[in-house]
Amino acid sequence: MKQLIALEVNGDMHEIAVEADATLLSVLRDNLGLIGTKRGCDSGGCGCCTVHIDGKAMYSCMMYALSAQGRKITTIEGLGSAEKLDPVQDAFVKEGAVQCGYCTCGMIMTAKQLLHDNPHPVEEAIRHGIAGNLCRCTGYHKIVEAIKTAAGN
Amino acid sequence: MALVKLKEFCIPDKPEQVDACVAKYGENALILAGGSFIHGLEARGLLSEVEALVDIRKLGFAGVTAAAGGLHIGAMTTFAQLEQLPELGSAPWLGALKDALTYPPMQIKNAATVGGCLAAACPFFDIPTALLALDCKLSTNKAGAKREMNLADLFSGLFENSLEPGELIIEAKLAKPAGRAASAFIKLEGTANDLAIVNAAAYIALDGSGQCQEARITLGGGVGDNVVRSSSAEQVLLGQKLTEELLQRAADAVGQDIQPMADHRASAAYRLAMAKVFTKRALSLALSRLN
Ligand SMILES: Cc1cc2nc3c(=O)[nH]c(=O)nc-3n(C[C@H](O)[C@H](O)[C@H](O)COP(=O)(O)OP(=O)(O)OC[C@H]3O[C@@H](n4cnc5c(N)ncnc54)[C@H](O)[C@@H]3O)c2cc1C
Ligand code: FES
Ligand code: FES
Repeated sequence: MKQLIALEVNGDMHEIAVEADATLLSVLRDNLGLIGTKRGCDSGGCGCCTVHIDGKAMYSCMMYALSAQGRKITTIEGLGSAEKLDPVQDAFVKEGAVQCGYCTCGMIMTAKQLLHDNPHPVEEAIRHGIAGNLCRCTGYHKIVEAIKTAAGN
Repeated sequence: MALVKLKEFCIPDKPEQVDACVAKYGENALILAGGSFIHGLEARGLLSEVEALVDIRKLGFAGVTAAAGGLHIGAMTTFAQLEQLPELGSAPWLGALKDALTYPPMQIKNAATVGGCLAAACPFFDIPTALLALDCKLSTNKAGAKREMNLADLFSGLFENSLEPGELIIEAKLAKPAGRAASAFIKLEGTANDLAIVNAAAYIALDGSGQCQEARITLGGGVGDNVVRSSSAEQVLLGQKLTEELLQRAADAVGQDIQPMADHRASAAYRLAMAKVFTKRALSLALSRLN
């Protein structure tokens, strides 16, 4: 049963025909081609699908696309561009906080809200703040350093 | 996609529309709030009979009213919204709720609702353990008929609640204690993003002479089909002056009321041992908040 819905993603309106049980994650990746948002566990356990809904970080694999209607969705593609990176993206590059990169987009979306809520977090607050995001490569150290750099700490 | 029988996705803005959808699909209509539990069920193939999802976000019952008599928490209030409540930082009696809210990851706090967390009747969650220790009461509504119930009466089995099809939790209510009271919650988890191996909450109230007038000790995380209240532990404390030694005796008594299970997270013996340790810690923390 497909339904026509309108979603606002990174400031653009999209009209899309989706299955009623499609997740926001699948619509972003498979219908809109916004593949920065990653599919890891598809069930709320890894964080690499994190996007912002009305400015709040959420797992896009745990939201039905139909529930996202009327809300402002921001993905990693909406943060910066290759020419002009968002300061958090820039800090991840400068600190070498990326290995395979699979967790990175979700990690950055989480870091954005963390720094919005708490512009100068201490290390413990950073570690607590990214607890909903797994990274299998870096051991987290450089990610924490990158968030400190982005905070200007 | 595991909602193979899904026919309708309703997003009502009036309660009557919920009733209409439920009248049409009966038990196969599923209320959807934050979706963070439902997606877990779907991923495990447990929602194959669902014919309609009813997203209740637009019905509006979100937000907390703090009155002299206590707190009224709208069922659609997210954990993140609840965490903003100034009373949580200042009122020792709400300590258990404040503590429990520190555990879920940011993404869950932004999505998960208080009503969804309770209706899920999942003994591995934290907020229900805290709210049961605070003697939470619920207001529900089904097709205009309102009902009040104790939180304990909502839980009727593992992942089973006592709501009728289409009956919505509207509010969770906490009454402010008259005298000196404090509470605390603590969780044992394998990783920072995992369900509880064991969790425990303690609420204690003292009378004018410093003796324990009221005690509620609750445990979750695989120690029963639902969150468990340990009356054996509470009995040890009532009418007594609370010393560390007495708190330990109360904690040791929780074994009489719980049925620890074994799973990939922990053995039953480990859960039993940790239930005592974490009850003691919750009690000590609550007591420290009274001093
Ligand atoms: C990665 C992850 C980490 C988590 N960590 C924690 C943690 O640390 N501590 C913790 O306590 N919990 C934790 N949880 C669990 C989380 O608290 C619950 O999933 C959440 O509270 C469920 O609320 P929801 O609004 O998302 O409910 P939904 O998934 O939308 O619904 C849950 C159930 O309640 C029913 N329902 C929803 N609202 C109502 C209502 N108003 N009236 C009647 N029925 C209703 C639905 O039909 C469904 O059966 C975690 C979950 C995940 C996925
Ligand atoms: S893909 Fe959403 S949390 Fe893992
Ligand atoms: S960089 Fe590979 S998972 Fe984080």
